[in-house]
Amino acid sequence: MNDSEQAAHFSNEGEVGVVEYQDFISRKPFQFESGGSIPELCLRYETYGRLNEAKDNAVLLCHALTGNHHAAGVHSIDERKQGWWNFMVGPGKPIDTSKYFVICSNVLGGCSGSTGPESINPVTGTRYNLDFPKLTVGDMVHAQALLIDHLGIDRLHSVIGGSMGGMQTLQWTIAYPERVGSYIALACCARHNAQAIAFNDTGRQAIISDPGWKKGNYPDGEQPGDGLSVARMMAHITYLSDAGMEAKFGRKRRHRDADEHFDVEFEVESYLRYQGQAFVSRFDANTYLYLTKALDRFDMHGPEGTLDETLKVVTAPGLMVGFTSDWLYPPQGNREVVEALLRLGKDATYAELAMDAGHDSFLLRAPKLDNLIRSFLAR
Amino acid sequence: MNPNSKKRQVDFQVIAQWVNEGDRVLDLGCGRGVLLEYLIQKKAIYGVGVDIDFDKILSCVKRRVPAYHGDVGKLLAQFEDNSFDRVIFSRSVELLDDPDTILTDALRVGKRVTVGFVNHGYWKNRFSFLQTGSRGINEVYPKPWYETLRANHFSALEFESYCSARNFKIEDKVYLRGDWRNECKVLPNLLAGYAIYDLAK
Repeated sequence: MNDSEQAAHFSNEGEVGVVEYQDFISRKPFQFESGGSIPELCLRYETYGRLNEAKDNAVLLCHALTGNHHAAGVHSIDERKQGWWNFMVGPGKPIDTSKYFVICSNVLGGCSGSTGPESINPVTGTRYNLDFPKLTVGDMVHAQALLIDHLGIDRLHSVIGGSMGGMQTLQWTIAYPERVGSYIALACCARHNAQAIAFNDTGRQAIISDPGWKKGNYPDGEQPGDGLSVARMMAHITYLSDAGMEAKFGRKRRHRDADEHFDVEFEVESYLRYQGQAFVSRFDANTYLYLTKALDRFDMHGPEGTLDETLKVVTAPGLMVGFTSDWLYPPQGNREVVEALLRLGKDATYAELAMDAGHDSFLLRAPKLDNLIRSFLAR
Repeated sequence: MNPNSKKRQVDFQVIAQWVNEGDRVLDLGCGRGVLLEYLIQKKAIYGVGVDIDFDKILSCVKRRVPAYHGDVGKLLAQFEDNSFDRVIFSRSVELLDDPDTILTDALRVGKRVTVGFVNHGYWKNRFSFLQTGSRGINEVYPKPWYETLRANHFSALEFESYCSARNFKIEDKVYLRGDWRNECKVLPNLLAGYAIYDLAK
């Protein structure tokens, strides 16, 4: 495709516009893989586009660690901040809402409206905090399947997600192979390598060692803010890249003559501190502990230590996308999933994008990524 | 449409004759996936294409051809012995960094290996080099060197002596003339513009 055709695509695009979330509430006890249970659960979700009569045009989006159900559009006409994949989801966009009924839910264990450690336990009337059962990616997907049941959908046209959303996507293909029509997993892996676990645990330790954490029982409206913001600052670095940070900040200075020796001096410090603070105001610390632990424990390798034994149940054609500058979930981790699928004779494709924005590349608009996702879904 | 595109598909019919219904086929250096798409339609094969170029992979996606973006040698190492019925190199052996290692590994992974390439010994190549001291531009080399990929060309004769040195069995071979259409029956190393080999262990 040439550039003029590409431009034509952009100009035919519309916006999903103002959207409202909905809550799916299941009053039945929900069993976790760990053996724990909760008496009821809520999943907050948004949908874009229309479910057709045959109910076969649904696309499930799975969000990343600190993302949520708000994938596209705005919540009010005055709001300037759009959903996390707004450039990808909408009429005429790669995930075309004039064709597909797009669903995105906040994960089980999340803190944007779905049941998680921050929610009130109806049995005790207080927050679950650390009484929330141990959580896995499998639990998140199981809960999403209940939502899909509730919406009357037997089989999803496609399941799509990046990072933690990519892991949920892969989990869908092995937990509910008959319900997945196709899948796209971006910037993810079949299991964390030592480096990813190391970063997550350093973040968790920052939270846990904050006196404000109080063994998970910090009061409503309070947070172990120092620990949580440091965890976020560090994690945020892992989502970027050396080249990306150099281009954005370099050694630019915010205050040339900082009063205090260790006050903000460089732009990059200012940026990260702001990211840390903003995170404390929107994301629950216990939730962060639960979700990062679920990611660390996620492992698609079977009892004999191979991916092949787990992936043999996959039936849907799939696309995995790695990003060259992603050092959190490097291309190799994406590639090896496809290598196993190809050993098994599955319909799987691996594509690698040369983008310098690190792990977060999948959240940035790029014509090649647009084209890849549009082409895969259109087949 | 590119006038060369028909010519690019020159070895399709020959290769298709060697492929059985339902075969597992690995196409190394698959380009836009046209050969695999053809084999999927004609022979209901399970095919996987490998290419190093993103735009080629994108074209494979559009053709519904499973494709792997990456290094041919590294992917081959991921497969067990005889896991494909056929491994195909269609004008890609000359582009490999380490052709000996990769051809050897392709014969481990594939029960058969198909290699198609421009015969560097073709008389027009010889003639233009003798006459002008340059590779020249002709029907088998339609572009000047600076517009082509870094390629390590070889002749049909050189390829056969390589196969014999490595004990690769040549099960079948087809030579095409400079038009890449009519079969070449005599003096292939001199008169063939294109050669296609079917190898076995």
